[in-house]
Amino acid sequence: MSGRRGRISDDEINELISKLQALLPETSRRRNASRSSASKLLKETCSYIKSLHREVDDLSDRLSELMSTMDNDSPQAEIIRSLLR
Amino acid sequence: MISLGGGDGGGGSSSSSSSSASRKSSSRAKATQTKWRTGTQQKIYGRRLLDALRATGGAPQPRAVKAAADSALALTARGQTRWSRAILLSTCRRRVLVKAGGKIRRRHHRRPAKAAALEPAALKERKVKERLRVLGRLVPGCRKLPAPALLEETADYVAALEMQVKTMRALADALAAAQLSSASPPETERS
Repeated sequence: MSGRRGRISDDEINELISKLQALLPETSRRRNASRSSASKLLKETCSYIKSLHREVDDLSDRLSELMSTMDNDSPQAEIIRSLLR
Repeated sequence: MISLGGGDGGGGSSSSSSSSASRKSSSRAKATQTKWRTGTQQKIYGRRLLDALRATGGAPQPRAVKAAADSALALTARGQTRWSRAILLSTCRRRVLVKAGGKIRRRHHRRPAKAAALEPAALKERKVKERLRVLGRLVPGCRKLPAPALLEETADYVAALEMQVKTMRALADALAAAQLSSASPPETERS
Protein backbone atom coordinates (compact mmCIF):
# COMPACT_ATOMS: atom_id res chain seq x y z
CA MET A 1 0.00 0.00 0.00
CA SER A 2 2.83 2.34 0.68
CA GLY A 3 4.27 2.10 -2.80
CA ARG A 4 1.06 3.01 -4.49
CA ARG A 5 1.86 6.62 -5.03
CA GLY A 6 1.00 6.59 -8.67
CA ARG A 7 -2.09 8.15 -10.10
CA ILE A 8 -4.93 8.92 -7.82
CA SER A 9 -8.05 7.56 -9.41
CA ASP A 10 -11.22 9.55 -9.81
CA ASP A 11 -12.99 7.39 -7.29
CA GLU A 12 -10.39 8.17 -4.72
CA ILE A 13 -10.68 11.83 -5.47
CA ASN A 14 -14.41 11.75 -4.92
CA GLU A 15 -13.89 9.86 -1.73
CA LEU A 16 -11.40 12.48 -0.64
CA ILE A 17 -13.89 15.22 -1.32
CA SER A 18 -16.67 13.59 0.65
CA LYS A 19 -14.42 12.84 3.58
CA LEU A 20 -13.03 16.33 3.69
CA GLN A 21 -16.48 17.81 3.62
CA ALA A 22 -17.45 15.70 6.57
CA LEU A 23 -14.32 16.94 8.28
CA LEU A 24 -15.07 20.61 8.13
CA PRO A 25 -18.68 20.80 9.12
CA GLU A 26 -18.86 24.53 9.56
CA THR A 27 -17.21 25.51 6.36
CA SER A 28 -19.02 22.94 4.30
CA ARG A 29 -22.32 24.44 5.34
CA ARG A 30 -21.31 27.74 3.93
CA ARG A 31 -19.65 26.54 0.81
CA ASN A 32 -21.53 24.69 -1.80
CA ALA A 33 -20.58 21.09 -2.25
CA SER A 34 -20.20 21.18 -5.98
CA ARG A 35 -17.97 24.19 -5.99
CA SER A 36 -15.25 22.91 -3.74
CA SER A 37 -12.66 20.77 -5.39
CA ALA A 38 -10.47 18.37 -3.52
CA SER A 39 -7.59 20.74 -3.74
CA LYS A 40 -9.55 23.59 -2.26
CA LEU A 41 -10.89 21.46 0.54
CA LEU A 42 -7.43 20.20 1.33
CA LYS A 43 -6.16 23.74 1.46
CA GLU A 44 -8.99 24.69 3.81
CA THR A 45 -8.20 21.74 6.00
CA CYS A 46 -4.54 22.66 6.16
CA SER A 47 -5.22 26.24 7.07
CA TYR A 48 -7.80 25.14 9.61
CA ILE A 49 -5.28 22.86 11.30
CA LYS A 50 -2.73 25.63 11.28
CA SER A 51 -5.17 28.02 12.88
CA LEU A 52 -5.99 25.43 15.53
CA HIS A 53 -2.29 25.03 16.22
CA ARG A 54 -1.98 28.75 16.60
CA GLU A 55 -4.87 28.82 19.03
CA VAL A 56 -3.23 26.12 21.09
CA ASP A 57 -0.01 28.12 21.13
CA ASP A 58 -1.81 31.27 22.22
CA LEU A 59 -3.67 29.40 24.92
CA SER A 60 -0.41 27.85 26.06
CA ASP A 61 1.07 31.31 26.43
CA ARG A 62 -1.94 32.43 28.35
CA LEU A 63 -1.99 29.41 30.63
CA SER A 64 1.70 29.73 31.30
CA GLU A 65 1.25 33.31 32.36
CA LEU A 66 -1.78 32.52 34.48
CA MET A 67 -0.04 29.66 36.18
CA SER A 68 2.99 31.74 37.03
CA THR A 69 0.87 34.27 38.83
CA MET A 70 -1.23 31.73 40.64
CA ASP A 71 1.76 30.21 42.28
CA ASN A 72 0.69 30.53 45.87
CA ASP A 73 -2.99 29.97 45.40
CA SER A 74 -3.26 26.23 45.46
CA PRO A 75 -6.96 26.24 46.32
CA GLN A 76 -7.52 27.53 42.82
CA ALA A 77 -6.44 24.24 41.33
CA GLU A 78 -9.08 22.58 43.43
CA ILE A 79 -11.67 25.04 42.25
CA ILE A 80 -10.78 24.36 38.67
CA ARG A 81 -10.92 20.66 39.12
CA SER A 82 -14.31 20.83 40.67
CA LEU A 83 -15.45 22.95 37.76
CA LEU A 84 -14.35 20.32 35.31
CA ARG A 85 -15.92 17.43 37.13
CA MET B 1 -13.53 -3.01 19.02
CA ILE B 2 -17.03 -1.77 18.61
CA SER B 3 -17.73 -0.20 15.27
CA LEU B 4 -20.38 2.42 15.49
CA GLY B 5 -22.97 2.59 12.79
CA GLY B 6 -21.17 0.29 10.40
CA GLY B 7 -23.19 -1.99 8.21
CA ASP B 8 -20.77 -4.88 8.35
CA GLY B 9 -20.21 -6.83 11.48
CA GLY B 10 -16.55 -6.26 10.93
CA GLY B 11 -15.18 -8.83 8.57
CA GLY B 12 -18.15 -9.62 6.42
CA SER B 13 -18.19 -10.17 2.71
CA SER B 14 -15.42 -8.59 0.76
CA SER B 15 -17.15 -8.55 -2.59
CA SER B 16 -17.32 -4.85 -3.33
CA SER B 17 -14.61 -3.97 -0.92
CA SER B 18 -14.03 -0.40 -2.03
CA SER B 19 -17.59 0.86 -1.70
CA SER B 20 -18.27 -0.90 1.58
CA ALA B 21 -14.93 0.26 2.90
CA SER B 22 -15.72 3.84 2.00
CA ARG B 23 -19.06 3.64 3.69
CA LYS B 24 -17.59 2.07 6.75
CA SER B 25 -14.78 4.58 6.92
CA SER B 26 -17.05 7.56 6.43
CA SER B 27 -19.30 6.41 9.23
CA ARG B 28 -16.24 5.73 11.30
CA ALA B 29 -14.99 9.21 10.57
CA LYS B 30 -18.22 10.65 11.85
CA ALA B 31 -18.00 8.44 14.88
CA THR B 32 -14.56 9.75 15.74
CA GLN B 33 -15.79 13.27 15.41
CA THR B 34 -18.68 12.73 17.75
CA LYS B 35 -16.40 10.88 20.12
CA TRP B 36 -14.33 13.98 20.66
CA ARG B 37 -17.33 16.16 21.09
CA THR B 38 -18.85 14.27 24.01
CA GLY B 39 -18.69 15.75 27.45
CA THR B 40 -17.05 12.61 28.75
CA GLN B 41 -14.01 13.04 26.56
CA GLN B 42 -13.73 16.65 27.54
CA LYS B 43 -13.83 15.79 31.19
CA ILE B 44 -11.25 13.07 30.77
CA TYR B 45 -9.02 15.37 28.84
CA GLY B 46 -9.52 18.19 31.31
CA ARG B 47 -8.45 16.01 34.16
CA ARG B 48 -5.42 14.73 32.27
CA LEU B 49 -4.53 18.24 31.29
CA LEU B 50 -4.65 19.37 34.90
CA ASP B 51 -2.48 16.47 35.95
CA ALA B 52 0.04 17.22 33.26
CA LEU B 53 0.08 20.90 34.10
CA ARG B 54 0.52 20.18 37.76
CA ALA B 55 3.42 17.92 36.90
CA THR B 56 5.23 20.79 35.21
CA GLY B 57 5.79 22.25 38.62
CA GLY B 58 4.29 25.66 39.19
CA ALA B 59 5.53 28.03 36.54
CA PRO B 60 5.93 26.28 33.21
CA GLN B 61 7.12 27.88 30.02
CA PRO B 62 4.55 28.14 27.22
CA ARG B 63 6.32 25.39 25.37
CA ALA B 64 6.01 23.14 28.40
CA VAL B 65 2.33 23.95 28.64
CA LYS B 66 1.83 23.02 25.02
CA ALA B 67 3.77 19.82 25.45
CA ALA B 68 1.67 18.94 28.46
CA ALA B 69 -1.52 19.71 26.58
CA ASP B 70 -0.45 17.64 23.59
CA SER B 71 0.65 14.64 25.57
CA ALA B 72 -2.55 14.78 27.60
CA LEU B 73 -4.45 14.86 24.33
CA ALA B 74 -2.55 11.90 22.96
CA LEU B 75 -3.22 9.98 26.16
CA THR B 76 -6.91 10.71 25.92
CA ALA B 77 -6.85 9.31 22.41
CA ARG B 78 -5.67 6.07 24.00
CA GLY B 79 -3.12 5.44 21.32
CA GLN B 80 -5.75 4.39 18.83
CA THR B 81 -4.58 6.75 16.15
CA ARG B 82 -1.28 7.24 14.49
CA TRP B 83 -1.00 10.90 15.39
CA SER B 84 -1.54 10.19 19.08
CA ARG B 85 1.09 7.49 19.09
CA ALA B 86 3.48 9.82 17.31
CA ILE B 87 2.99 12.48 19.97
CA LEU B 88 3.51 10.02 22.80
CA LEU B 89 6.63 8.66 21.19
CA SER B 90 8.07 12.09 20.59
CA THR B 91 7.49 12.98 24.23
CA CYS B 92 9.27 9.87 25.40
CA ARG B 93 12.17 10.14 23.06
CA ARG B 94 12.65 13.82 23.73
CA ARG B 95 14.31 14.53 20.44
CA VAL B 96 13.80 17.78 18.67
CA LEU B 97 11.75 16.29 15.90
CA VAL B 98 10.29 18.23 13.09
CA LYS B 99 7.34 19.98 14.62
CA ALA B 100 4.01 19.80 12.93
CA GLY B 101 4.61 23.26 11.50
CA GLY B 102 7.08 21.68 9.14
CA LYS B 103 9.52 24.51 8.80
CA ILE B 104 12.78 22.89 9.76
CA ARG B 105 13.79 20.45 7.06
CA ARG B 106 14.54 22.26 3.87
CA ARG B 107 15.71 19.28 1.95
CA HIS B 108 13.65 19.65 -1.17
CA HIS B 109 11.34 22.41 -0.37
CA ARG B 110 11.35 23.98 -3.80
CA ARG B 111 7.98 23.97 -5.42
CA PRO B 112 7.53 21.62 -8.33
CA ALA B 113 7.21 23.41 -11.64
CA LYS B 114 3.51 23.89 -11.87
CA ALA B 115 3.72 25.99 -15.00
CA ALA B 116 4.69 23.02 -17.11
CA ALA B 117 1.20 21.56 -17.05
CA LEU B 118 0.59 18.51 -19.16
CA GLU B 119 -3.17 18.55 -19.14
CA PRO B 120 -5.71 20.10 -16.80
CA ALA B 121 -6.38 16.74 -15.21
CA ALA B 122 -2.76 16.03 -14.44
CA LEU B 123 -2.30 19.53 -13.12
CA LYS B 124 -5.22 19.15 -10.77
CA GLU B 125 -3.91 15.84 -9.59
CA ARG B 126 -0.54 17.32 -8.90
CA LYS B 127 -2.12 20.07 -6.83
CA VAL B 128 -4.05 17.54 -4.85
CA LYS B 129 -0.93 15.54 -4.19
CA GLU B 130 0.94 18.62 -3.12
CA ARG B 131 -1.76 19.57 -0.68
CA LEU B 132 -1.91 16.05 0.63
CA ARG B 133 1.76 16.28 1.34
CA VAL B 134 1.34 19.53 3.23
CA LEU B 135 -1.43 17.95 5.23
CA GLY B 136 0.75 14.98 6.04
CA ARG B 137 3.29 17.31 7.52
CA LEU B 138 0.72 19.01 9.71
CA VAL B 139 -0.65 15.89 11.31
CA PRO B 140 1.95 14.27 13.56
CA GLY B 141 3.39 11.02 12.40
CA CYS B 142 1.52 10.96 9.13
CA ARG B 143 4.06 12.03 6.61
CA LYS B 144 4.24 8.93 4.51
CA LEU B 145 0.66 7.85 4.84
CA PRO B 146 -1.40 7.17 1.74
CA ALA B 147 -4.35 9.45 1.16
CA PRO B 148 -7.26 7.48 2.67
CA ALA B 149 -5.46 6.72 5.93
CA LEU B 150 -4.17 10.25 6.10
CA LEU B 151 -7.68 11.61 5.87
CA GLU B 152 -8.88 9.33 8.62
CA GLU B 153 -6.10 10.54 10.86
CA THR B 154 -6.84 14.12 9.89
CA ALA B 155 -10.49 13.73 10.80
CA ASP B 156 -9.68 12.45 14.23
CA TYR B 157 -6.88 14.96 14.73
CA VAL B 158 -9.01 17.94 13.81
CA ALA B 159 -11.77 16.87 16.16
CA ALA B 160 -9.26 16.30 18.94
CA LEU B 161 -7.66 19.68 18.36
CA GLU B 162 -11.02 21.39 18.56
CA MET B 163 -11.65 19.76 21.87
CA GLN B 164 -8.21 20.67 23.07
CA VAL B 165 -8.75 24.32 22.21
CA LYS B 166 -12.12 24.33 23.88
CA THR B 167 -10.85 22.77 27.08
CA MET B 168 -7.76 24.92 27.30
CA ARG B 169 -9.78 28.03 26.75
CA ALA B 170 -12.25 27.02 29.47
CA LEU B 171 -9.37 26.37 31.83
CA ALA B 172 -7.70 29.68 31.08
CA ASP B 173 -10.96 31.56 31.51
CA ALA B 174 -11.63 29.80 34.79
CA LEU B 175 -8.16 30.54 36.08
CA ALA B 176 -8.44 34.17 35.08
CA ALA B 177 -11.82 34.48 36.74
CA ALA B 178 -10.54 32.82 39.90
CA GLN B 179 -7.62 35.17 40.05
CA LEU B 180 -9.79 38.19 39.53
CA SER B 181 -12.11 37.14 42.29
CA SER B 182 -9.32 36.32 44.69
CA ALA B 183 -7.46 39.57 44.15
CA SER B 184 -7.72 41.70 47.28
CA PRO B 185 -10.05 44.68 46.83
CA PRO B 186 -7.76 47.52 47.93
CA GLU B 187 -5.16 46.57 45.36
CA THR B 188 -7.52 46.40 42.47
CA GLU B 189 -9.02 49.78 43.13
CA ARG B 190 -7.55 52.39 40.89
CA SER B 191 -6.93 55.60 42.70
